[in-house]
Amino acid sequence: MVKKFSKKGQMKIQQMAFMLIAITLFFVLVVVFFLAISLQGVRRTATMLEEENAMLLVSKLANSPEFSCGNSFGGSRANCIDFDKVFALKKTLNKYQNFWGVTKIYIRKIYPEDEIECTEENYPNCGLIKLLDKNVNSTSFSSNFVSLCRKEKFVNSIEDKCEIAILMIASEDKG
Amino acid sequence: MNKKGQEEIVGFVIIIAIVSVIILILLSFMLNKKDIVAVESYEVESFVQSMLQYTTECESYTEFLSFQKLITYCDVEGVCLNEEDSCKLLNSTARAIIESAWNVNDESAIKGYEFKIFNEEGEMVSIEKGNKTANYKGNYQDFVRSGEDYKVSLTIYE
Repeated sequence: MVKKFSKKGQMKIQQMAFMLIAITLFFVLVVVFFLAISLQGVRRTATMLEEENAMLLVSKLANSPEFSCGNSFGGSRANCIDFDKVFALKKTLNKYQNFWGVTKIYIRKIYPEDEIECTEENYPNCGLIKLLDKNVNSTSFSSNFVSLCRKEKFVNSIEDKCEIAILMIASEDKG
Repeated sequence: MNKKGQEEIVGFVIIIAIVSVIILILLSFMLNKKDIVAVESYEVESFVQSMLQYTTECESYTEFLSFQKLITYCDVEGVCLNEEDSCKLLNSTARAIIESAWNVNDESAIKGYEFKIFNEEGEMVSIEKGNKTANYKGNYQDFVRSGEDYKVSLTIYE
């Protein structure tokens, strides 16, 4: 015996199916919407932590014994990099390849601005030291302003000369 | 099926479709928001510190003055060895340093800045550029020299 559905009944089932699909779609979208909002918060926190980490690392680097001015320029100075020391360090950098856990360390003079890369021939009349430049996938640079100081010889004396630079670092991109 | 029922389904489907499209548009806006390089307050702090240490072109009898010393030199109306007015040099040096570090334009995150130097009597130097917005990062450094208080402040508007 074949049971026959009435036309009205078929339409009711169809109507119900439509309703169920529409309601499911609607709730899925609402859930996705709220997930996106909460993910945005997580992303913001991650970015903040990353920035804080980069800032700490930049400050740590600038004030580490290998970079800092120490007391060479009259008293201790915060965020002060000894240009002479850093340039000397560049020559023996093989020992420091993995010491700081970063892939790139650049120091760029911003005032007076100079884009010429430092070599033994042009030092100190240059504006960019690529202290570490590993050929790997890196994150974007984190930077901070530093004072770049060196000893400069004048006619009868040796004077302290401090310029303004930015210390830039990049880490390995693991993403 | 009666006409009224059909109309209800069509109306409901249209509402769902419109709401879904709105949610999708909002989602795409939220997820594809471009990361603008914002200024951090530690950057402003480090910049002011570095600026104070900068060695200026003003030479006194003992040394080339740092920016910090030039502020006090200007306050006592000192004249550099090359007979240049220390206050004029202070103003021009500050302007040049700030302009080289903070690029103000419509496409960058920085919309304007305000740099001021104060002594106990009031404002010594004031440099402003661009627009002042509600979103800003600022920092000041103060120091005492020869019993006089000085304050150097910088505010960057985003």
